[in-house]
Amino acid sequence: MMAPAKRSLVMSARAGRLQRLGATAARALLLAVTLVSVLAVLFIFYFVFRDAFPFFRLRGFAEFFGSTRWYPSNAQPEFGAAAIFFGSALVTLGAAIVAMPLGITAAVCLSDILPFTARQWAKPMIEILAAVPSVAYGFIAMVVVAPLLQAHGGALIAAGVWMVGVPVAGLLVVVASDLLSRGTVSARRGGAQVRFALMLGCMAIAGLYLLAKKASGLVVPSGTNAFNVAVMLGIMALPTVVSVAEDALQAVGRDLREGSYALGATRAETMLRVVLPAAASGVTAAVILGIMRAVGETMVVWMASGNAAQIPHPWYNMLMPVRTLTATIAGDMGEADHVTGSARYHVLFAMALSLLAVSFLCNFVSERLMWRARRKLGA
Amino acid sequence: MSIHLRTRHLLDRSFTGVGIVSIALLAASVLLLLAPVVVRGIGAFVFVGTVEHRKVQLDRFGHGDRAAVQAEAAKAALARTPAYTAVASFETWLATNSFAVQQQYRAEFKEVRAALCDLLGPMPDKPMPALVRLQYGQTRGDRVQVVLRDLLYREEWDYSDPTRMGTKKLVPRAPAFAGTPLAGLFPCVEQHIDAMLLPRRTFYWQFLTDGSVDAHFFGGIMPELLGTFYLTLGAMLFAIPIGVLSAVYLSEYAREGRVVRLIRTCMSTLAGVPSIVFGLFGLACFINTLHVSPSKSVLAGSLTLGLLVLPTVIRAAEEAIKSVPQTYREAALSLGAGKWHTTATVVLPSALPGILTGIVISMGRAAGETAPIIFTAAVSVGRPLRLWEVFSQPTPALPWNIYNLCTEHVAVDEIRHVQYGMLLVLVALVLALNLAAILVRARIARSLKT
Repeated sequence: MMAPAKRSLVMSARAGRLQRLGATAARALLLAVTLVSVLAVLFIFYFVFRDAFPFFRLRGFAEFFGSTRWYPSNAQPEFGAAAIFFGSALVTLGAAIVAMPLGITAAVCLSDILPFTARQWAKPMIEILAAVPSVAYGFIAMVVVAPLLQAHGGALIAAGVWMVGVPVAGLLVVVASDLLSRGTVSARRGGAQVRFALMLGCMAIAGLYLLAKKASGLVVPSGTNAFNVAVMLGIMALPTVVSVAEDALQAVGRDLREGSYALGATRAETMLRVVLPAAASGVTAAVILGIMRAVGETMVVWMASGNAAQIPHPWYNMLMPVRTLTATIAGDMGEADHVTGSARYHVLFAMALSLLAVSFLCNFVSERLMWRARRKLGA
Repeated sequence: MSIHLRTRHLLDRSFTGVGIVSIALLAASVLLLLAPVVVRGIGAFVFVGTVEHRKVQLDRFGHGDRAAVQAEAAKAALARTPAYTAVASFETWLATNSFAVQQQYRAEFKEVRAALCDLLGPMPDKPMPALVRLQYGQTRGDRVQVVLRDLLYREEWDYSDPTRMGTKKLVPRAPAFAGTPLAGLFPCVEQHIDAMLLPRRTFYWQFLTDGSVDAHFFGGIMPELLGTFYLTLGAMLFAIPIGVLSAVYLSEYAREGRVVRLIRTCMSTLAGVPSIVFGLFGLACFINTLHVSPSKSVLAGSLTLGLLVLPTVIRAAEEAIKSVPQTYREAALSLGAGKWHTTATVVLPSALPGILTGIVISMGRAAGETAPIIFTAAVSVGRPLRLWEVFSQPTPALPWNIYNLCTEHVAVDEIRHVQYGMLLVLVALVLALNLAAILVRARIARSLKT
């Protein structure tokens, strides 16, 4: 037999009130703690706005966005940041060119092509790329890649032309010869296709040879340039692109894929014409997130972009040094902090405001795209 | 217009090939990144060390057997006497000669003597230089080769071909001094360099525990390692309580509504802010407005880094808490536990492995970030901080000092091994933390499967 309970099994009114008070207090405390991150964001925006505003009041908008003369330490300082904005845009474009095809193909391969064991090896590799600190990327870009580019830049670019050109040309030749031999009689189609393929193949190889020869004649004046930084930023943005794109591709589900296979499509056609369009919003969000990472990166560009505040001579010449917003902020703040209150200090906050605006915009657009993807796939 | 079936299969196979090539390119970029770091970083720990290295270790850090090192130093000094006598007799010969002869040899002799002092240390009869870096000769075998080449050869540029850039040529110095007392110096040094410097394979594990002497010319990286440790610990001390409590609120208590949507938007905005803007915010808010410390300090840097990793911690903790089965909560509630009691005793312990994974990955991120600490906590030269100085003193830190040593140091090429060593330690630290997180996650997956 159990001993009689020492406490009453029914809570007294006072105890009940206390417990409810305790629960409300706990909930309020948790809400307060959660609001710390909200406060943090608000304060970040407030401080950056507050310190960016004086610059625009002192110097206006036209010079900052329109002029390319950046001389903050002159006796008559000039704060034309157009070349710096262009530098940021150029390296981001380069990073997107590197990360987008590579990232999307890697995501497609990871989600549909690789067998399970290979996937177990590939995923840690991508996590390693994501985990390595940015200063390591910058160091390798500056100490290993830059001297290599400067000494053998032309040869490396020529090798790249061959590496990319041969598979692409091969594919195009095969498809084109197939389409061209449509017209001939069925019995002689094979021979006609081979003839067309040989002819087109010779033309393709001749074209590639000329392009590679022109590339190997390139002289790289400085190994620290926009090309170096664009490649490194592309590699840094890859893990983001691959993981978010892979999630988007997985979210498409098996039904669409199986329906496409049932209609006789090959795997390539399924991926390219059914799955990728279905996952388009998610994949676009992945690319935008990768670009956001590239825009906000500081150490790699500070160490390896050459830090020359100029627009390269033909605007697409990525073998010239450029300067980005992040590198300017990081590099100039040390001296600018001694003249707190001057235009030189506030212009850096103006640049930070631009960066904040771009990253907020990218975040917003990618969130909307992912929301749209979830809604479309009926989550 | 339809494509032939054979071509479609070919395209399919080449699509597979393109996918494999992209994964291979990913692997190649990982290799490009890690191979130099590992190979040359190990060179900071395992290298060919000379008697000068052992002298520095004894004088400055107290490592090594005093008697043995002094015996070696004496042996090396004995081997060097022919070189020093050659230099001394050349000096007296030059002084007794005409001004024209002195003009002919003076510039090159200055270079030769500088290279010799660089190689073997200050001359025995001259006063000891003030800078520590000049008080010893070369400590590492690879640098010995470089300086020896500088001693034996002169760099000349050949501009004869107008269509190409100038080419560098190495011209031996010995013929310029033929017939003078210095002529014997060059073959003597070249042949007896091993006896003069007594190279030996060294394992310098104290690289991790020694402070640096004279701006990293000698010694190790302990202040930077300690600074990174303080900063990471401080960042997690701020991020973990706030992050876990926020995740608990968002997953257990919050009702989906406008407030929660606003909170989530703010959190994803915070996750997207560039790291340099965090640094500026830390400078403008924590140091210039709130005055948490008179100027840069570890406290301000930890606050900034904590804010940086907060979204990651919240996201990981929220996912972990959401993945706890609802049956656990219902069972606890049915036994009479209140909501907070359930969360604290049932939900959080079950979600602990997932939360730990997120925490460990954030630690790796906080340890490797540079931009937030440039203006708030990092200095280039400093001594290891004691615990109470953390609130007011700045500190050297691994990522900042890697940048500083390879761009703003006076002798960047001479301390390459220190840069690579720091890089190896940082990358190894971050990858070890990530490996720990992966292992924890694998253990969760295994326990969830059973």
